[in-house]
Amino acid sequence: MSAESLAPETAEVPSTADVSTSSAIPESTPAQPEFSKTPPIKPGIAPFSTADPSKKTRSSSGSSSLLSPDTLSSEPDFVTIPSYSRWFAWNNIHECEIRLMPEFFDARSPSKNPSVYKYYRNEIVKKFRENPSRKIAFTEVRRTLVGDVGSIRRVFDFLETWGLINYSPSGKQALRLEEKENKSSIAATPPSQANDVAATEAAVLSNGERSKKLCSACKSLCSIACFVCDKYGLVLCARCYVRGNYRVGVNSSEFRRVEISEPAKTDWTDKETLHLLEAITRYGDDWMRVAEHVSGRSEKECVACFIKLPFGEQFMDPADPGEDASVHEMKDHCDAESIVESSGKRVCITPLADASNPIMAQAAFLSALAGVDIGEAAAQAAVTAVYDMDHVKCRANFQPPFSASKEQEAGTTSSQDSAIQTSGEAQTDPESLLGKEEHDLERAISSIAEVQMPEIQYELIHYEVMELQLEKEWQQLNQMNNQLFLDQLALLFHMAAVPKSEEISVEESGR
Amino acid sequence: MKSQIPASLRNPVKFRMPTADNLVPIRLDIEIDGQRFKDAFTWNPSDPDSEVVVFAKRTVKDLKLPLAFVTQIAQSIQSQLTEFRSYEGQDMYVGEKIVPIKLDLRVNHTLIRDQFLWDLNNMESDPEEFARTFCTDMGIEDPEVGPAIAFAIREQLYKIAVQNVTSIKEMKISKKARRGPEYASASKSGVAAVDLVKLFGHRSSVIRKRKEWDVYEPIVDILSNEEVEESAVIIA
Repeated sequence: MSAESLAPETAEVPSTADVSTSSAIPESTPAQPEFSKTPPIKPGIAPFSTADPSKKTRSSSGSSSLLSPDTLSSEPDFVTIPSYSRWFAWNNIHECEIRLMPEFFDARSPSKNPSVYKYYRNEIVKKFRENPSRKIAFTEVRRTLVGDVGSIRRVFDFLETWGLINYSPSGKQALRLEEKENKSSIAATPPSQANDVAATEAAVLSNGERSKKLCSACKSLCSIACFVCDKYGLVLCARCYVRGNYRVGVNSSEFRRVEISEPAKTDWTDKETLHLLEAITRYGDDWMRVAEHVSGRSEKECVACFIKLPFGEQFMDPADPGEDASVHEMKDHCDAESIVESSGKRVCITPLADASNPIMAQAAFLSALAGVDIGEAAAQAAVTAVYDMDHVKCRANFQPPFSASKEQEAGTTSSQDSAIQTSGEAQTDPESLLGKEEHDLERAISSIAEVQMPEIQYELIHYEVMELQLEKEWQQLNQMNNQLFLDQLALLFHMAAVPKSEEISVEESGR
Repeated sequence: MKSQIPASLRNPVKFRMPTADNLVPIRLDIEIDGQRFKDAFTWNPSDPDSEVVVFAKRTVKDLKLPLAFVTQIAQSIQSQLTEFRSYEGQDMYVGEKIVPIKLDLRVNHTLIRDQFLWDLNNMESDPEEFARTFCTDMGIEDPEVGPAIAFAIREQLYKIAVQNVTSIKEMKISKKARRGPEYASASKSGVAAVDLVKLFGHRSSVIRKRKEWDVYEPIVDILSNEEVEESAVIIA
């Protein structure tokens, strides 16, 4: 067994010869506009860290041509870096590096100083640029760097998120970059401030993953099914998955299939809206049940749609129908009518519905539910009842018998007018009204009296008869009492006269 | 001079790696289903423990190992870390201790053999820097040699530091301790401290004797492929 690690690891490390010859790779840009145009290395500047004197000599000798004759690649390699990383320079440390990797710059630990950071950074970038088409893995890098793996890992992640390593110019990298930023911002050292960019992108990514399935590789919308790899947070559409369009270290077995059957972000059909409204009237604020009733929609979607309905908000707390609704009915009946007409299709069509008045809105809604004819009939009845009651009570105390029916006076504007007129009339003649009332009262009383008198008479007669009977019975009783008394007397006399004869008979029987 | 007890012996130092940064050498040697994974690196114990799992996952992913390695690696790292941390609260007597450090390692095609003296009392020492300088000075082109050297140094320092702690513990128990700490350390510590005084005491120069030069000279050999295989067989 070798003292080395597993075989694949060693194979990836380039042989010693290669390391030195790759010193003169120029940095340039491809045709894509978003990438920075880093100037090719000028002859005078030593492109690599001075910590490596052997390499330095090489690079300065191959100055003018930028290519030393013994490079492996016959043509110049172009390395692309994204435009937001154009600050990168071999010999300098940019302020964003200081900001994002503070552990090296705050002198907390004596071995972590800027030169060490530069050493790590330059070594890692160098290693990547030896073979820009291939991504380097952290493990290979850390084996070649002297230092503790934690800091090396942080530098590596930093460089990777900023596209200085493992960056390929195609667009498919963009989303992966976001994911890495997501990961690195989570896994980065606590003092290092995650990029604002990273944070927002992470947020965007998480939002995107929730509602839509965007493929990380081809950035198209996943429609039928998508393949999700939770380990690395990748979402691929079926095409990319089949083609194997994902990162190096990912196995195809690590993906799981997620079906997307429901239409994402579709409009609400009328049927669904109707279901929704039914459910709301039935369950009110219980959105869970509403969502159940409206099959195929989540609670949030239900609420969102409901709020979007023109009068939706008003139904959040069903207001009391109120007592002065009839006054305002005039204007709103037109609205209610139009709503009622269109209630069969979509409830929220009409813009005329007066949502500012919650009561009327309620009325309109209920009228829509109940239907035209019922509404009319109920409204008629309500109006006539109101009209009747006007005679007795003050105008201000309207007592609607039934709130919904009262408000559903579709097309009864005329009768309402008349009701208002009559009541108006009545109001202008209060004294006659009073007199009338008195008269009525008297009549009522007399009629009552008439009815009551015979009753009393009958009762009197009845009582007389009863008394007679009572007397008779009393007399009878008396007679019987007397009779009894007489009988008792007779008996006593008898008993007094007979005792001697009884004693003799008793004595005779006693012998 | 010998009878004098150096001041540092009286004041114990809190256990830590006797280097500038308190990094722990971690060695991994895991075998699962016939696949063997060996690795050695330095770890910063002040990193949060969540880093361990992250690192394990990263390594497995990069090397395309089966997933079962993740937990094993993480456990191994974690146990070594806890062991290190268990020493951390205790005292350690370092004293005037110059210890010889030996390097005898083979990394890919490079064979390195070296011996040098290291001052344990120097808390600012930096094995990483030593390794970097070594590689540049010796013109070693294989980048993996540097970390291996640093790791080897660190491991040896760690062992010695641990011995210092444990020896103190034993000292407190044993009777010999009453006589004085220097006796205990001399008898119990595995690595004999080189007594500078004995070496250079009456002589005025600090230059080594010529015959000792070979011992202290670093040897760097580049092996060919066959030699690599040979040595691999021997070690296994």
